[in-house]
Amino acid sequence: MTPPLPSGPEVLSLFRSLLRVAHNFPDYNIREYIKRRTIDAFRQNRTLSDSLSISSAFSEGKSQLDVAKRQAVVYSLYAPPLKSVMELQNP
Amino acid sequence: MALRAAVLRHLRVPIQTAPWRGGASLRLMSSHDDHITKDEVIDRVLSVVKDFPKVDPSKVSPDVHFQKDLGLDSLDNVEIVMALEEEFKLEIPDKEAVKIDSTHLAIEYISNHPMSS
Repeated sequence: MTPPLPSGPEVLSLFRSLLRVAHNFPDYNIREYIKRRTIDAFRQNRTLSDSLSISSAFSEGKSQLDVAKRQAVVYSLYAPPLKSVMELQNP
Repeated sequence: MALRAAVLRHLRVPIQTAPWRGGASLRLMSSHDDHITKDEVIDRVLSVVKDFPKVDPSKVSPDVHFQKDLGLDSLDNVEIVMALEEEFKLEIPDKEAVKIDSTHLAIEYISNHPMSS
């Protein structure tokens, strides 16, 4: 038995949620890593065609979203004391 | 003690009425005073779209469709909308975000949004 296939809007909504959860991390490097990792993974998986790998990739993404939401709370307790040099507006 | 009382008895602070500041500066909590103009929105939207790595900057105009005219896909579309959210410090709900598929709609949405800055 396979779970129902995620629709296009559902996939895009997951993509958007993952990009959005990245904002909640106080650390520049982690924030950028999550964005990069999300974009790369969705690009890599966009050619998937069989339903089994599509639904497993989708549920993998959802579980990663849950992990990121939890970790955002943990990381916000240990925010870096200084901003990264990459975040400075006028270097 | 006696000295303090004597000093206090002779000390007079002149009463001044605060000058009338005029209408605009009285709206301290209002967000409307610094609302951005439509021209500024257009400029900033276009520069965000032009900065997107896959976009050819010469093709970008205030009325260009992301997927039809710029050759982007749906993932790029989401990325551009997220970049616009960051630029204007907005949070666009999913329902609205899926509708924004051209610079024209993005400019409309952002210039009508009360919180954009």
